[in-house]
Amino acid sequence: MKEAKEKPVYLEEREEGKKGLSRRDFLKGVGAGTVAVAMVTTGPPAHEAEAAGPPKGVREMAVVMEVNGKPYRLNVKSHWTLLEVLRRELALTGTKNSCDRGSCGACTVILDGRVVYACSLLAVEADRRKITTIEGLSDGETLHPLQEAFVREDALQCGFCTPAMILCSKALLDRNPRPGIDEIKEALSGNICRCAAYPKIVKAVTSVTNKA
Amino acid sequence: MSSQFKIIGTRQPRLDAWARVSGRAKYASDISFPGMLHLKVVRSPHPHANVLNIDAQKAAALPGVRLILTHKDMPAYRWHPDMPVLTDVARFVGDDIVCVAATSEEIAAEAVDLIKVEYQVLPFVLDPEAAMKPDAPKLYPKGNLVGGKPQLASRGDVEKGFAEADLVYEGRYKTNLVQHATREPRACVALWEGGKLTVWDSTQYTFAVQEGLAKALRVPISKVRVICEQMGGGFGDRSTAERYNVLAALVARKTQRPARIEFNREENFLAGHHRYPVIFYLKYGVKKDGTLTAIQAKAVADMGGYAHFPGAGGSMEVILSTYRCPNLKAESYSVCTNKPEGGFMRCVGHPQATFPQEVHLDIIAEKLGMDPVEFRLKNYARLEDGDQARKIPFSSNGMEECIKKGAEAASWKVRWQKPGSTAGPVKRGLGMAIHACRHGGMAAGMPSSGMVRVNSDGTVNVFTGTSDIGGGQKGTMAMIAAEEIGVPLESVFVTSADTDVTTDTAGTTGSRQTITGGTGIKLAATDAKNQLLDIAAEELKVDRKEILISEGKVYRRGSSEAIPLEKIAGKAPGPIMGRGVGRVPRNVIFHTQAAHFVEVEVDTRTGAVRVVKLIAVHDVGRAINLLTTEGQIEGGATQGIGFGLAEEQLLDQATGICVNPNFIDYRVATIKDIPEIVPMIVESVDPYGPFGAKGVGEPPYSVPAPAITNAIYNAIGVRFSEIPITNRVILTSLAKAKA
Repeated sequence: MKEAKEKPVYLEEREEGKKGLSRRDFLKGVGAGTVAVAMVTTGPPAHEAEAAGPPKGVREMAVVMEVNGKPYRLNVKSHWTLLEVLRRELALTGTKNSCDRGSCGACTVILDGRVVYACSLLAVEADRRKITTIEGLSDGETLHPLQEAFVREDALQCGFCTPAMILCSKALLDRNPRPGIDEIKEALSGNICRCAAYPKIVKAVTSVTNKA
Repeated sequence: MSSQFKIIGTRQPRLDAWARVSGRAKYASDISFPGMLHLKVVRSPHPHANVLNIDAQKAAALPGVRLILTHKDMPAYRWHPDMPVLTDVARFVGDDIVCVAATSEEIAAEAVDLIKVEYQVLPFVLDPEAAMKPDAPKLYPKGNLVGGKPQLASRGDVEKGFAEADLVYEGRYKTNLVQHATREPRACVALWEGGKLTVWDSTQYTFAVQEGLAKALRVPISKVRVICEQMGGGFGDRSTAERYNVLAALVARKTQRPARIEFNREENFLAGHHRYPVIFYLKYGVKKDGTLTAIQAKAVADMGGYAHFPGAGGSMEVILSTYRCPNLKAESYSVCTNKPEGGFMRCVGHPQATFPQEVHLDIIAEKLGMDPVEFRLKNYARLEDGDQARKIPFSSNGMEECIKKGAEAASWKVRWQKPGSTAGPVKRGLGMAIHACRHGGMAAGMPSSGMVRVNSDGTVNVFTGTSDIGGGQKGTMAMIAAEEIGVPLESVFVTSADTDVTTDTAGTTGSRQTITGGTGIKLAATDAKNQLLDIAAEELKVDRKEILISEGKVYRRGSSEAIPLEKIAGKAPGPIMGRGVGRVPRNVIFHTQAAHFVEVEVDTRTGAVRVVKLIAVHDVGRAINLLTTEGQIEGGATQGIGFGLAEEQLLDQATGICVNPNFIDYRVATIKDIPEIVPMIVESVDPYGPFGAKGVGEPPYSVPAPAITNAIYNAIGVRFSEIPITNRVILTSLAKAKA
């Protein structure tokens, strides 16, 4: 069962401190961990200005999220998905759009340590949460060991599903550093690779678990 | 692996790996510009209808809408024989009727909803055989048969062949409507600046898109630049100029703003290319000893609303050339119906014929009491057979080794038993099939070219038209250039698939790039190397023949004293540019050969078929990169398993509407669905391919479906003549067999 299908956590619940970070914790964390990084604020994209006001029921809201260790304050429309915001507003195009309905896994990101389908989560639901996209895994030119393993084993062909495959593998290894082959397959079963690089993907993830 | 090479035949990570694993790779769907317009298409909800009226007033009044195009804006932009860019006659559900360009995707989508199209609904036909009848609804005034007549082929005397036969067996077979389901949806961005059109497209063939756009928009080819930096899967869906390319370019020109179009998943299923279904009627004659005496075949291909080529003839090639048989008669009917476009998909046309032929022959072998492996070994087309009507040989042929190697790996002689031999509800079965067909060849008029530049520091830039769609084509070109010149692989950089910079190598289609692109690069590398040798000969004052280049160093033969290549390259009077143009050999037929052996488990209680192990043996001529060669075999075979057991785009017969245009209802294999796949390589060393290489991208797709079907028979004793063989099909057939 993909975690993206779980019941979304709404702002109200979050503010009551039921799950995840509180707003205060988040801002504290931001202050402590990323001192040098200025808060990046973005508004609605320029093209929206040309259009008339938003359709009925659509609200504009301010959200705060930490993406790849960098804090952002964003003004988003209430119906925008996290995927749209990552790709369009933050230009993090490593997160891919393929089905836009939570059925293929191309848009997988890590949200507070768990994998979610960014196409099936509203941006407002990601308020005050920590998000890791594929761009956050490497350090400059230096790749994460999982990324290196994918390169070495050629665990990719066209590469379109690859960011999501790697993030899913990372989330798995973060909670279970020594998964068996069946656990690896289970964790990656929500991510379609049409090129079917599957045998080599299993090899790549296994090669990292063996080293752990 | 041959030790005669330093780089060829090794395992090399792909060239774009860093960009792809780091998320920095820019696919066409990732390209964006400020002020860009977004396109959406109004698609027909009817399988066959005349467009009577288009009311776009409300949409035009919507703030943010910049342009609305209909068929009335289009007649001048025709580029396909039948297919208009936007049509006033809908020929399938999803046909392109109106295009909207707006300042955001949301506004464009809203505008699409506001457009009212009035249709005159027409009778439609979904069955290709029904579509051939005189009273069938006509998609085109000229009729539904593509080309107006069947394609015919014959050799020998088929009646004489049947008279000589001890056994004549006939059967009817049918394959499924399948979609590529590439991970990246169709997408492109067009920019029109000062009379120059630049298009970023996810395409397998930038030069075809360039030519198509030049023709459609009536601009010179030199003013159209098409770039495919990355591509999220092709499998044939994007190998020509498509409607969406023309629409984006047209909007960019008319509005003078960048224009972007990206299909959603449903549009991709409805309005992409498809593996067209084919109905095959086969009648084969054999002697008691297993010798084939006559083949009679009729193919009816369902090409949907728009035929990109006569598909039945493409499928028939498999029947014409896989086996040696002196007497043959074949009729191929390509028929238009009100289904989605029949077009190009991995191993175009071949799986639709390999499935029927290999199942048919499995039945015949059984009727003769022959081992199916022995039967294939007796009848497969030999090196000298080639085109059996025109007596042109194959360029190379590793079929015998493929069959023998696979049979040994599968322990066929020991493990292959009578059908239904397993006790208990879960039955095990073994099956096999072979495949041989035209792949990777340089057909007449098919460009093969490349350019190589040696820099003053001895490093190398390769310029190739090939789109690296996932097969690792860029790495292949780098390996060929590095091997040929004698430089380390790390010193080579490849620029690919940009029509302003590179040269045409035909599309990354037809398992072709290693041959067309690779030959071009090898010749270009030789040219550059000769220039280096000339400079070195002058510097060292020896004959050119006395010099060799290896691992980026220049040596005199017999001497271990090494001169760094940069010392020679730096002395060049001008840039060292190597140019290569491949020539088409006319006296041979290019074929690749393959044999698959498969073991299945069939649960007779649930109907579930589990492929346990698939041994895939392919003659690749010579593997350039072992790692990506294996990947092509594993990936192609996995798609082939889906073709046999799971994938089918289903249309409601009453409305022509597709009921499963998504990844939930159209089942694509996940990591949990795949068996143990054992890729095995045979190297026949083709005399025409670069370093002896042949193509491998497509053949792995064709073979699993019939091998699995034969294995299912071996497990449960029931034959199947249609695919996909789903759980339900198995259960229904078992119930029927019992009754």
